[in-house]
Amino acid sequence: MNITDFQEMLFRQGEQYGYTDMEIYYSGSRAISVVVRQSEVDTYRITETNGLSFRGVIGGKMGYAFTEKIAEDSMMFLLEEAEGNAAVLEMEDDDELFAGSEQYPQLNTYSALLMQTDPDILIQAAQKVERAVLASDERISMVRQSAASVREHELLIANTRGLHCHQQDSVGSVSVYLLAGEGQDTVTGGWFEYSLTDFSEIQLEQIAARAVEETVSKLGAASVPSDNYPVILREDAASSLLQTHASIFSAENVEKGFSSLVGKLGQRIAGSNITLIDDPLMPGVPGASIFDAEGVAARRNELIQEGTLMTFLHNRKTAAKAGAETTGNASKGGYKGKIGVSYHNLYLQPGTRSLDELIASTERGILITELQGLHAGTNPTSGNFSLACLGYLIENGKISRPVNQITVSGNFYDLLGEVEELGNDLRFTGSCTSPSLKIASLSISGS
Amino acid sequence: MLQPALVEKILNAALESGGDFAEIFVEDRTDRDLGMLGGVVERALSGRDYGIGIRILQGVFSVYAYTSDLREEYLIETARKAARALKGSSGDLVLNFNQIQFEDRHPILQRPSAAQNSRKIELMRQAHEALKTSHPLIEQTSVGILNWEQKVLIANSDGLWAEDTRTYTRMRMSAIAVDGTQRQSGFRGPGAYAGLELLEQMDIAAEAREAGRIAGTMVKAGYAPSGQFPVVIENGFGGVLFHEACGHGLESTAVGIGASVFAGKLGQQIASPLVTAIDDGTIPNAWGSLNIDDEGMPTQRNVLIENGILKGYLIDKVGSRRMNMPPTGSGRRQSYKFAPASRMNNTFIAEGSSTREEMIANTEYGIYAKSMGGGSVNTATSDFNFAINEAYMIRNGQIAEPVKGATLIGKGLEALQHIDMVGNNLDHGQGMCGSISGSLPVNCGQPTLRVSKMTIGGRKGE
Repeated sequence: MNITDFQEMLFRQGEQYGYTDMEIYYSGSRAISVVVRQSEVDTYRITETNGLSFRGVIGGKMGYAFTEKIAEDSMMFLLEEAEGNAAVLEMEDDDELFAGSEQYPQLNTYSALLMQTDPDILIQAAQKVERAVLASDERISMVRQSAASVREHELLIANTRGLHCHQQDSVGSVSVYLLAGEGQDTVTGGWFEYSLTDFSEIQLEQIAARAVEETVSKLGAASVPSDNYPVILREDAASSLLQTHASIFSAENVEKGFSSLVGKLGQRIAGSNITLIDDPLMPGVPGASIFDAEGVAARRNELIQEGTLMTFLHNRKTAAKAGAETTGNASKGGYKGKIGVSYHNLYLQPGTRSLDELIASTERGILITELQGLHAGTNPTSGNFSLACLGYLIENGKISRPVNQITVSGNFYDLLGEVEELGNDLRFTGSCTSPSLKIASLSISGS
Repeated sequence: MLQPALVEKILNAALESGGDFAEIFVEDRTDRDLGMLGGVVERALSGRDYGIGIRILQGVFSVYAYTSDLREEYLIETARKAARALKGSSGDLVLNFNQIQFEDRHPILQRPSAAQNSRKIELMRQAHEALKTSHPLIEQTSVGILNWEQKVLIANSDGLWAEDTRTYTRMRMSAIAVDGTQRQSGFRGPGAYAGLELLEQMDIAAEAREAGRIAGTMVKAGYAPSGQFPVVIENGFGGVLFHEACGHGLESTAVGIGASVFAGKLGQQIASPLVTAIDDGTIPNAWGSLNIDDEGMPTQRNVLIENGILKGYLIDKVGSRRMNMPPTGSGRRQSYKFAPASRMNNTFIAEGSSTREEMIANTEYGIYAKSMGGGSVNTATSDFNFAINEAYMIRNGQIAEPVKGATLIGKGLEALQHIDMVGNNLDHGQGMCGSISGSLPVNCGQPTLRVSKMTIGGRKGE
């Protein structure tokens, strides 16, 4: 059953059932992915999934339900479940559906060309990367997997107030993950690149070369003595740390007491070199979008401007509670989620010097390239983190050797005020991005 | 869920270009999620997952396709599309499905349904009241009850036909304590392969008070020191140490291609002789149990390490083909959106003979890890990390002040060698394990044990 027919029929049935307002949030995705190992295709995946969440007002209250079965026999399930859920909710706030923004920005986020990529091209790309990796260094013991994929995603939000928002996006990517060894020492590493427009733009040799360099440079790693060290978080490690803590900027988390930024609006919370921006309208990045999960037009927001907290991220409900305007940051964790708050394309404004220059200006310190166990070793509420990590020792302004079996500890709220310098190396690989960050001192635990 | 005639057509379409094995996994799952914040019901969600995964094997090469569109022509077309990834041809397959018979080891007394919402809310309110009054510094509470019921049909070209319904219930309780500018959360999340009876039989207030006590204690704690120390790890979810440090490395997904430090070590002494480790998918109503795995094979009790000697691996169907060893009932997947992979069920270290008191008394200076968070591991190197939610210093053989922000790191092989005392008080805790085939309920269990030397990532000088 196609989604438009489903929607019309569901709304008709819902009206008879007693719903006064209704909305569907439909999400569908299609992907083809291949994994190559030892020059043969190891796995080949063709995936397609659709799902929708329904919400509607019945008896003056909003109820939610979802289904992956877009068929007539799901309609009664949705209407009954949502009614049952509405009945138990105890919030008094008004959850009125949105009729739509006056204007929506224009942004092209879909490439038909990309999605037409022949599966054989994907297989050849993965094989080529694997060959290039294996040919480049005799210390490489195995390519664990070399993978290529294209995927597209479609989102539709429509309601009985007249809202009708539709967006499609697509991405192609190639990744490789390998093992290298020398004596008893085994290390792993990898790299990936993507394209939002044309699969043939992906630079396969560069992926292979970077993956090899990332991996073999870890050979011979050892711990360092426990101490406080100047630390450079490389852009990928800095991005993952920012992403893990980004929920503290959600007005919902602030209101619920899950963020220590309570009452800090308008105050200095970071160094004057820190400007944090959520810009969904930036073209050519994975987090680009033209509307949020409530159908509000997306817009650029500066959360921190030169160290001062300017706004939290809001949806319509948190904005109404705070007496503010929505920032267009309603989110939904897919069709199973409830409306929450999240960023679209969050990034820290970069500095001017390269990572190499940051290293050169460090007498002795640690360059961290990878943080591990982020789901467990961080506490966004308190901001405290203690994480296993990998990287390199910097001595006399140069990388002197790889480091492993260490942890780095600190507090994210404090760290915002302790960034000495930001690199110029912003690389948009996801929807939350940071350049490399140089911190005067962090606690490193090692031998 | 699907008629045998249609399944036969799908499997035939899947095998039309040279596959030697085809399998379908059909899933119909209903989720119910209620949440309360500060005593107010603010989350009530329910829904239905529905779809099919089709897998084709040719040797160890696998093709996987999934869809949530279950129209007959579409299913056959999807199977055919997947089959095109193979180059070859095959004759007609005539299937005589054998319904596999298994004993249902996990009786469900109160199946979850929307009608029980009011009862669930009463139970959540009990938890909220206990959380709120558990410690004077508690400022916020959050409680939730999650139920899901997953109906599965697994059928394959060997003639296997298996159907099962799995019912899960979990309650999460968390409290946030505030002391000046410090905020700390405490958490408890008991769960089981069971219906609402889990919560009816549980002392909810006691569990909630435990979460509140952790938050209240840890908000006043100073930072853990850095460096290498002996660590006494409390029983129950402390078993996450073994899960991360060793369990993942014993899965055929890594072992089968040689990407695990445990590959090729069967029969070798890899751990302290005090260590016996077991993965058991058959424990009645345990959070990580199953009647049959997601490839349709009955689960079993697998001895992985016996007195320090490596005895076995966790093997799924593809792993079995790669390693030329029988599967162990360990093929699991989160949903039809994932191809199955070898995964843990309920993994635990068997009891030893020491008491907790002896272990503490025998430790001059070290860390007592009372409650654990989660962690992760790199199976190729066995480098692992995990977080401690509640920790204390041990000084002069006694538990001293609480410390926060402690992460344990190490190498699995070394940690296993360094276990020098194993307690007599086995218990299990519940967690969600994320890996290649999705996020799955697992039990992690152990008695209290001591590791003579581990690296603690605290903060120096604080």
